[in-house]
Amino acid sequence: MPTLEVSHSDLCSLIGKEFTIDELKQYILFAKAEIDGMEGDLIKIDSKDTNRPDLWSVEGIARELSGRLTGKKGLLKYKIEKSSLVVDVNKKVSKVRPLTVCAVAKNLKMNETTLSQLIQLQEKVAGTFGSGRKEVAIGVYDFSRIKPPIRYTTAKLDKKFVPLDFEEEMSIKDILEKHPKGKEFGHLVKGLKEIPIFIDSAGEVLSIPPIINSNFTGKVTEDTREVFIECSGFDFKFLMPALNVLVAALIDRGAKVESVKVVYPGKTMYTPDLTPKKTSVDTDFANEVSGLKLSSKEIANLLEQARYDVKKIKGKKIELLYPAYRQDILHPRDVVEDAIISFGYNKIEPELIKQKTKGEISKLEVLSEKLIEKMVELGFQEILSYSLTNKEHLFSKMNLKEKQLVEIENPVSLNWNVFRTWMLPSLMEFYSNNQHVEYPQKIFEIGDVVLIDEKQETKTIDVRKLVASISNSKVSYDDISSVLDVFMAALKIKYKLKKANHPSFIEGRVAEILVKNKPIGFIGEIHPSVLRSWKLEMPVAAFEISLEMF
Amino acid sequence: MADYKLTEEGEEYLKNGLPEKNLVNFLNKLSQKSATIGRLIANIKNFPIALKWALDKEWVSKKGDEIILLKPPHETPEEDALRKIYEGKEVEEDTAKVLMGRNLVQRITETYKKAEEALAKTGNVIDELTHDIILTGLWRDRKFKLVTVETIRKLDKKKIAPGKRQPYNHFLMQVRKKLVQMGFIEMTGPTIEMEFWNFDALFQPQNHPARCWTSTYSLKYPKFGRLPLKNIVSRVKAAHENGWKTGSTGWKYKWSAKKASQLMPRAHDTAITPRYMVKGLKIPGRYFNMVRCYRPDVIDATHGVEFIQTGGIVVAKDLNFKHMLGLLKQFAYEIAGIKETKFFTDYYPFTEPSVQISGKHPQLGWIELAGAGIFRPELTEPLGVKEPVLAWGFGIDRLAMNKLNINDIRDLFSRNLKWLRSQGD
Repeated sequence: MPTLEVSHSDLCSLIGKEFTIDELKQYILFAKAEIDGMEGDLIKIDSKDTNRPDLWSVEGIARELSGRLTGKKGLLKYKIEKSSLVVDVNKKVSKVRPLTVCAVAKNLKMNETTLSQLIQLQEKVAGTFGSGRKEVAIGVYDFSRIKPPIRYTTAKLDKKFVPLDFEEEMSIKDILEKHPKGKEFGHLVKGLKEIPIFIDSAGEVLSIPPIINSNFTGKVTEDTREVFIECSGFDFKFLMPALNVLVAALIDRGAKVESVKVVYPGKTMYTPDLTPKKTSVDTDFANEVSGLKLSSKEIANLLEQARYDVKKIKGKKIELLYPAYRQDILHPRDVVEDAIISFGYNKIEPELIKQKTKGEISKLEVLSEKLIEKMVELGFQEILSYSLTNKEHLFSKMNLKEKQLVEIENPVSLNWNVFRTWMLPSLMEFYSNNQHVEYPQKIFEIGDVVLIDEKQETKTIDVRKLVASISNSKVSYDDISSVLDVFMAALKIKYKLKKANHPSFIEGRVAEILVKNKPIGFIGEIHPSVLRSWKLEMPVAAFEISLEMF
Repeated sequence: MADYKLTEEGEEYLKNGLPEKNLVNFLNKLSQKSATIGRLIANIKNFPIALKWALDKEWVSKKGDEIILLKPPHETPEEDALRKIYEGKEVEEDTAKVLMGRNLVQRITETYKKAEEALAKTGNVIDELTHDIILTGLWRDRKFKLVTVETIRKLDKKKIAPGKRQPYNHFLMQVRKKLVQMGFIEMTGPTIEMEFWNFDALFQPQNHPARCWTSTYSLKYPKFGRLPLKNIVSRVKAAHENGWKTGSTGWKYKWSAKKASQLMPRAHDTAITPRYMVKGLKIPGRYFNMVRCYRPDVIDATHGVEFIQTGGIVVAKDLNFKHMLGLLKQFAYEIAGIKETKFFTDYYPFTEPSVQISGKHPQLGWIELAGAGIFRPELTEPLGVKEPVLAWGFGIDRLAMNKLNINDIRDLFSRNLKWLRSQGD
């Protein structure tokens, strides 16, 4: 979820009307955002729509609000004239970062606020919409310092230039290793022998996307009057809207945007293209989704407030144009939501669902609930543990050899990188945290373990288990065995105990629990070497059973 | 054989290395293999001790002010012994004596004598494993008396004081029961799920930011699952690529079956729903789930190692956005006891329109209660559902934390027995 910092006064001046912060808190819903806090003139905004980069700028928010609050409805007019600038795309980029779309913006009137808003928008679009610059990297340059035409090609790693905010020349290799942006984004060009580069006709480097601009052309300040903008990546589906979002924000602030001729081997295109896109919505469909009973005209009006143009209304069919900076409209349903937002979520009368249905808890939870009640009656404290753990807890601390289990490839911590295959270690860990608490400590847990099972379509299976244990200055096999017996009697389950070997337990003091001659778990006294590996000083007796048979 | 424990000094040496070992390591790194005492004092912690032992062991010699390395040791049995004692393993009696002499370990003596005498009385066989026997390590060279494990014992019920429920789990069960009263059927699903069900079947595009390495876990093992029925897969693929027959343009990219078959720990509870949609829903139907979900969040007071999400769907003919709002208001009242609510615009890749409800909580003020929306047709139609599906997710952790009076979400899975015992009635 992108978070923005915008200026209260700047936002109001873009909307064209003054609003208090309380009013904005209410109206900002129109821009699918929430106000998260404020400090002086600065407002912190959470933008909730991860698919609407046009809403991640103060200009974009102002558009949505002014359409609904000031009577300035319909499409904003974005006029683009052709510039003479040519960007020549070399076929060498086709294997590294094949595509770029570009624009030139003139007549900029930058100040501290507008500059910081431009940088913020650029970062959010490339970072969130562009998946951390992978899909979209954006460069903005001082156009007056560039000698056209511009070439988009590749360079070897020993190529040198002065990267942004540095004073000395560095080789690309050094930039990737030492420059903060090189370290942050270097993984995106890892292993490439030649990396993409924008370079002008005087041989001046503009940038190496998606890493860093040069300090000479790539530094934009409050004094910059003209900028060259490029978006690079792999798919026009991301690049076009990204560029459109940026130039629309600049035009909203009075810039004059010109298109650039981008020449690919065998193909030429002019970008940006802000021609509005066509869609339509059916009035009956809109009412069916919203539950409102609106006329075509009313819906058309709501959509104009949402910055659509209504081309014509033909009975129930409303033909529309929507702005080119939007790429989120896949289905008429998306248009309906915009109309409902204009209508106001809090003006709609909620309706109760009339159809009656009969509820039901899952069988496993019904069983678990019954067992929990029984164990509590028997004097046991229920605990709840994470199902993520580590191999040391599951195996070596329990005197067991490792076995195949579900392991996470990108864990946050090595303490939690595998799924538990049995429950007893969770209880041992719990005991080791509570040695200062009064004994006896009788605890239990019901939960799932995850086991490898190649027969399943997910190659794994969840098994619900119950584990219970007693720890005290003296604990015997009989203590835990008698608990198991009451428990089984309450469930009316006949069982047998059979001598067994299990390295976590004392030899001769462990048995397998059999139901209908099938093993469902173990019972016994924990081996002192296991107790010591958990740093425990009191004996423990425990049983663990699988609930599959119940 | 007796057991030992480390003294504070012993623990320090285990952590930072024996001083004499650090001394020779330092010298060994210098090209001239020697240094003045002044320089060594500045660089070696506990230098006097280090020098004493290094001289004793003939690792170094002293010539005036100069310390000269003679031979760096191959092994330092003391360090190994410290580690073993720390891990509760056995060590040579002789090595232990040296360590005791250096005050690095202590014998657990009095308890030892007491336990040994007690054991002698029972013929040196362990009947009941006790605290003392564990701590002294006497269990290592004594036999355990065999017990008759196959005889079933009867419990003396008079001796029992009742235990307690885990308060968070108990809270969850109360919510469950409330949902059942409201007509909801519980759904369940596997912890390890294919991306197909977690994302693709929910119309979340494969290049969506939420599907990247830092937002979801992936597995080292096992890697891939088996995709479901071909017709379901091909319809979902078409919905992503071109909208299929839903009137949508789709996400316009090449959908990969391999990516969809990757396994992952369930990242959100909605992953459960599409399997039920394919199996066939009761119409009208209300469904819910309450399951553990896994995301690679940095763990802090607001992010646990894993978390339990509660959500579900309502499916019936002619449901619309007004019903969505009505359902959320009902939840706010029935589950959180909140009457004053507000709706907010929201976004989920799988719902349109989407909405969030916030409510005025008596203690917490305005809080976010639930996120919801109507499933997109690109989701429902490929899975064979023709009726509108209202989907919702209710944030019950915040309510649970308030009820249990805790501020750290990790305490929902509390490891504190004292606290657990103090909860409830």
